[in-house]
Amino acid sequence: MYHASKSDFKTRLQTWLPKLVLSPSLAMVLIFVYGFILFTVYLSFTDSRILPSYGWVGWENYNKLWRLSHWEISLKNLGIYASLYIAICTAIGLTLAIFLDQKIRGEGILRPIYLYPMALSFIVTGTAWKWFLDPGIGLEHTMHLWGWESFEFGWIKDRNLAIYTLVLAAVWQSSGFVMAMFLAGLRGIDSEIMKAAQIDGASNWNLYRRIVIPLLRPAFLSAFVILAHLAIKSYDLVIALTGGGPGRATELPATFMYSYTFTRNQMGIGASSAVIMLMTIAAIMVPYLYAELREKK
Amino acid sequence: MAIVSTNSNISRYGRPVLAWGVALLFFFPIFWMVLTSFKTDADAVKPEFLIWFTPTLDNYLNLTENYDYWRFATNSVITSVCATLFTLVVGIPAAYAMAFNPSRATKDILMWMLSTKMLPAAAVLYPMIFLAKGIGLYDTHVLVITVVSLINLPIAIWMLFTYFKEIPKDIIEAGKMDGVSTWGEVKEILIPLAWGGIASTALLIFIFCWNEAYWTVRLTTIDAATLSKLIEGNRAPEGLFFGRLSAVSTAAVGPIVVLGWFCQKQLVQGLTFGAVK
Repeated sequence: MYHASKSDFKTRLQTWLPKLVLSPSLAMVLIFVYGFILFTVYLSFTDSRILPSYGWVGWENYNKLWRLSHWEISLKNLGIYASLYIAICTAIGLTLAIFLDQKIRGEGILRPIYLYPMALSFIVTGTAWKWFLDPGIGLEHTMHLWGWESFEFGWIKDRNLAIYTLVLAAVWQSSGFVMAMFLAGLRGIDSEIMKAAQIDGASNWNLYRRIVIPLLRPAFLSAFVILAHLAIKSYDLVIALTGGGPGRATELPATFMYSYTFTRNQMGIGASSAVIMLMTIAAIMVPYLYAELREKK
Repeated sequence: MAIVSTNSNISRYGRPVLAWGVALLFFFPIFWMVLTSFKTDADAVKPEFLIWFTPTLDNYLNLTENYDYWRFATNSVITSVCATLFTLVVGIPAAYAMAFNPSRATKDILMWMLSTKMLPAAAVLYPMIFLAKGIGLYDTHVLVITVVSLINLPIAIWMLFTYFKEIPKDIIEAGKMDGVSTWGEVKEILIPLAWGGIASTALLIFIFCWNEAYWTVRLTTIDAATLSKLIEGNRAPEGLFFGRLSAVSTAAVGPIVVLGWFCQKQLVQGLTFGAVK
């Protein structure tokens, strides 16, 4: 690029071309992501109801939001859902990865079976689970007609238990790919370390607890970040599986935001809840990205 | 590295049994849906026909009558194909620029682009609908295609970047020496060399586009509505049309399950933002 050429224009074009071709992508991301986020932030400080309006109300929407029991419920639900989802997915994912790492026969078939739920959209898996869990047509109904009259599995209709059906379906959908992340981590561990430990007489349990799991720390971290942001963003699955019900039993911040903005005509409050979700994800993401970037340099 | 334990029966038989048991659990809900799709609506709720039943293709033959399936399917195909192509058209030059003319900021830009994937869509939903209605694009293919490709653009660029980086720089430099234009470089050298990577990226983006529900459901009503919208609108079976609903759901995910099987590796890579290579 630097060897001087007569055609200055062409040289300059060659230098600028990479930047030029990159700019549409950057511009689009900038406008559609940050432009719209700013608009939402702005809306959260206005008195918008059914349509955006531009009367400035300061922090009022946020004050209202934190006084709503509906919002409190959705935050509590998110707490239960996210912590169980992350913990169970990580546990199942790690266990499955360790199993597959043992050279089990049929790994080539098992791995895609574990993974395939992730290739399906949440709408479809939510629907399939909704049918399966429905006492009227699913598991419970089948058991009754097979003669097990006392069998009960009505979690999805139970206010206190419905949130766990959400965890069940979400875990089913994601543990396969958490498994893939851990499997990649396990396969990347230097075999010399393991051999040395085995020669020293470490038991398998100790080998995993003291050596393998500490070495998998980066995989744990990425799994946590990815699962956490999936949990906060969960929307499709809730809508397909329970629709936020029964009552408000499975309402999450994402469904809260949607219903306040679009069906309850409280756009200002809806926008403020979106901003809080955004901040929460940012609080998880920024340190992670920062650490990633620092490591790579 | 695998730790193969040899000493106990539990690890020899227990683990495979457990692994296959879990696989069965993973498989069951969808298997059940597919099975139900071959039953009549009446048989579908009778447990004596759970496994043994007279299969019927009626549900599939009546997809059009019952649900207008093909219109939604056509929209899904149009959206996914166009969005994939658009993503590649914008993504290939961007990835090319970053892979062969890297600057100090390249890594940061990539990370930043990927980070936008993690934002909750809720935060930009309203402005998007507002804008779409304002310029009269609500419920059109143009809008859905644009939005769906923008959502997938960061993943596409990042994946293409990792593939392009594998290509030796010398080849591109040699082309430059020979006076090949930049466009010629891309067309004659880069695309043929990175063909496999481009194809896997396209496949992955296609799957993501097909599955996209958050935006397609909310930005369409009828004209540009995809299969996600169809399923979303019909998910309450109440036991009446269980067979036919299963058929339409199966028909909606069928193509993706097949594609997904072929590109598991890319799927994991794309879903983990490159944490797994």
